Amino acid sequence: METFGVVVIGAGPGGYPAAIRAAQLGASVALVEREYLGGTCLNYGCIPSKALIHTSDLYAQMRSSASLGLKTESASFDYSAMAERKDQVVHNLRGGVKQLLAANGVKVFEGTASFESRKRIVVNSSSGNAAIGAEKTIIATGATSSMPGFLPRHGRVVESRAFLDLRSAPSRALVLGGGVIGCEFACMLAQLGVQVTIVEILEDIVAFLDADVRRELRRQMEKTLGIRILTGMSLENITADEHAVRGAAGGEALEADLLLAALGRKPVTQELQLENAGLRANQHGFIEVDEYGVTQVSTIYAIGDVTGGPQLAHAATSQGLVAAENACTRQRRKNEKLIPYCIFTSPEVGAVGLTEQEALKQGREIKTGKFNFGALGKAQAIGHASGFVKWIADAQTEQLLGAQVIGFQATDLIAEATAAIRAELTATELAQTIHCHPTLSEAWMEAADVLLGEPIHTIAKRARG
Amino acid sequence: MVRPITMPKLGQSEEVGTLVRWRKKVGDPVAKGDILFEIETDKALLEVESFFEGTLLKTVVQEGSTVPINTTVGFVGDPGEAIPEVAAPSPEFRKPNPVATSTEVPSPAALSPSRGTAEARLERPAAHIGAVREPPLHPTPSVMAAPEVFRISPRAAKLARESAINPTSIVGTGPFGRIVERDVRKYLESKGYDRLRITPAAKRLAAKENIDVLTLDGQNGQGRITVAVVERAIAEKPQPMSRMRQTIASRLTESFTTTPHFFVTVAVDMTELVNFRSELKAQGAPYTVTDFIQKAVALSLVEFPVVNSTTDGKNVRWHSRVHLGLAVNLEQGLVVPVIRDAEELSLAELHDAATELIAKARAGRLTPDEMGGSTFTISNMGMLDIENFTAIINPGESAILAVSSTLKQPVVKDDQIVVRDIMKMTLSSDHRIIDGATAARFANAIKQKLEEISLWKRLA
Repeated sequence: METFGVVVIGAGPGGYPAAIRAAQLGASVALVEREYLGGTCLNYGCIPSKALIHTSDLYAQMRSSASLGLKTESASFDYSAMAERKDQVVHNLRGGVKQLLAANGVKVFEGTASFESRKRIVVNSSSGNAAIGAEKTIIATGATSSMPGFLPRHGRVVESRAFLDLRSAPSRALVLGGGVIGCEFACMLAQLGVQVTIVEILEDIVAFLDADVRRELRRQMEKTLGIRILTGMSLENITADEHAVRGAAGGEALEADLLLAALGRKPVTQELQLENAGLRANQHGFIEVDEYGVTQVSTIYAIGDVTGGPQLAHAATSQGLVAAENACTRQRRKNEKLIPYCIFTSPEVGAVGLTEQEALKQGREIKTGKFNFGALGKAQAIGHASGFVKWIADAQTEQLLGAQVIGFQATDLIAEATAAIRAELTATELAQTIHCHPTLSEAWMEAADVLLGEPIHTIAKRARG
Repeated sequence: MVRPITMPKLGQSEEVGTLVRWRKKVGDPVAKGDILFEIETDKALLEVESFFEGTLLKTVVQEGSTVPINTTVGFVGDPGEAIPEVAAPSPEFRKPNPVATSTEVPSPAALSPSRGTAEARLERPAAHIGAVREPPLHPTPSVMAAPEVFRISPRAAKLARESAINPTSIVGTGPFGRIVERDVRKYLESKGYDRLRITPAAKRLAAKENIDVLTLDGQNGQGRITVAVVERAIAEKPQPMSRMRQTIASRLTESFTTTPHFFVTVAVDMTELVNFRSELKAQGAPYTVTDFIQKAVALSLVEFPVVNSTTDGKNVRWHSRVHLGLAVNLEQGLVVPVIRDAEELSLAELHDAATELIAKARAGRLTPDEMGGSTFTISNMGMLDIENFTAIINPGESAILAVSSTLKQPVVKDDQIVVRDIMKMTLSSDHRIIDGATAARFANAIKQKLEEISLWKRLA
């Protein structure tokens, strides 16, 4: 039996970087993956969806670019070509991961891992079983879409992964669930001219967002993209046949060509046989870890979606590196707590730290500063003048505690705010930092000025905190 | 009509009171009997009611200020009425002027706890752990050391403040040793301030909370002084204790360092008394084990008057009465309400007195007079599952009884090992006046009474 210093189970955005870092630190490393290198993120999540969204976004921009002086009346799209390009992107990136792993000397096992004991793992594949020894193990098995039993099993009812395999776009779509995944796909389809209805059981879509941002997002999705959003309702009596998928929400009958179920993701632990390692998933199926990424068993770490934290690829990557370092060195590093998130809706959303509502709920005294992109030269020049950035800071020390951005390239813009908050900068520090002109990032500086009560490009509201 | 509200006199020994919190704001309507403000004395936190009706027009004394009794703290009247000019008293008031405490003018504010027994008792030696203000037997003139003058220029002070450092240890090179900006810069340089890795928010927070960043250790923030490091320092900043706690501290230190304590422990077989008490309870009698202990102690003190006396090392003062102090643990500290003339009270009267005082203590409604003058104290920790402990003698007394839990124990009785309910009691005695043999006899006198069931059948 071959024995490794570190065995990583799952080659997603958490698992494969963990394997590479462990190898860099001198460990012999095995990486077990039952499907594709890159996991959900690369193969049927972040990357393919962004490839499609990029095209739909360009198409929507072209169709509304008459004001920019372009004549694009005859613009059209070929969904199957879009899907093909997406597959090519995924294929290329997957190849890149394979090369990186090989270059770092990580041995990749194809198959499904299960524990036989704490230090012995069996890899089950079509070509048979192989047992490997593991001094330390990092569980990075991720999560998979929930498909509750009330959904009919039919080709017209898909979750995100099956949706990405479609070769043609529907003309009418029902999206069940107004979370991040539901809203991203709803926006993409709406940009391609699909008639989209979102049904969300909660009182609003993407409920965890700052209220100002949520209001702006919903307004744009409804007004600009023409998406119907039904909140505080459940979709009932769902049926599907060869003609359509049907359901009822709030007494109204709804019909579409496709139902996309975006009802959250559940952890993948079933085949692991955790009990053989002395581990147990909690009541929701997640593997709990301490702040160093360690499970109840001191030699076994867990990272990413399977631990029940925020289900974000970049959080998993960070946790993967921390776990690998903690497993391979004498140092003990805690998982990072400040995790930014980004939503590829139209408009895009980025956020990090506290929302205004969270800060107030914690009983903090805060100041906020909001700056609309409309007042920026660059935003006007490129024809993306909607949206805003918003800072939340401690009222006494002006420490930056949270940042929100909604608008063009918001998902890139959030990076600056993340670095500022992690470095514990104050609003004054940020306002005094020179920002390139003309860029969208100037909005952060201007919003910090607003927070401090001395804005240049907007009229100060004296009454504000 | 505008009426002044004054700091009420709370007890025999009180000369000052601290206004802890105004319960009414200026402009609030005030009805007769409404709580106007809260005051803290050495002994307790009390609420002060209004005697008048009207509107709170002005507050003269700020929250947290300590002022002599009868000082005007505010005014009640009708809105718009002219308020007499009153100089605000110094908030740092410490030494009351005895002349100012004339009690001729009736206080317009009343304490909410009843003061029915407030007439002065001439013989009331002090006896509260956290409380006594008895004149020292050998008063020594106290000399205040003149504080060293701290001179710093405004620019230097601003730099120190913005750098979040404490400037008091900087050597000044300006006139009269005044610290100037140059000195602060030199100090920062000598301390390696430039190499300090501190986040901007952490520095701002430290400056706001007067935390000297040079004292901080950034190791937990991976070498960087972060907000979390400063927050820990804020949490660790020394906080002044409440006046009550400070008084407890000084009294206990005085007692334990000036009184030569010694301790004797006896084990009391409570089996029969516990059974007897259960019988009584079944018949509806309310007695607790504590009641029996109090009675046994009161009876024994009459037999051993030396244990019920006080000494300063030169003189001894015999008390003709037994004023029994009961140590009661509260969240904010210890209070010792006193059962007066305990030797004259029947078991039922003792029970009622103790029940009332303890309820008042828990409600924070004991008056200072109800907490002074004990001649002997019982500290009962029976409910806290304690095998044995020792107590510190209450200043002004010569002994204290520490009562522990009654526990089932194997004991030898008539040469057989049997299970009995055993309670340990430890007597702390002032060896200047009580000898070992006396303490042993006194402790055994209590033990014998508690074990003699016929006595309780007669008394109950």
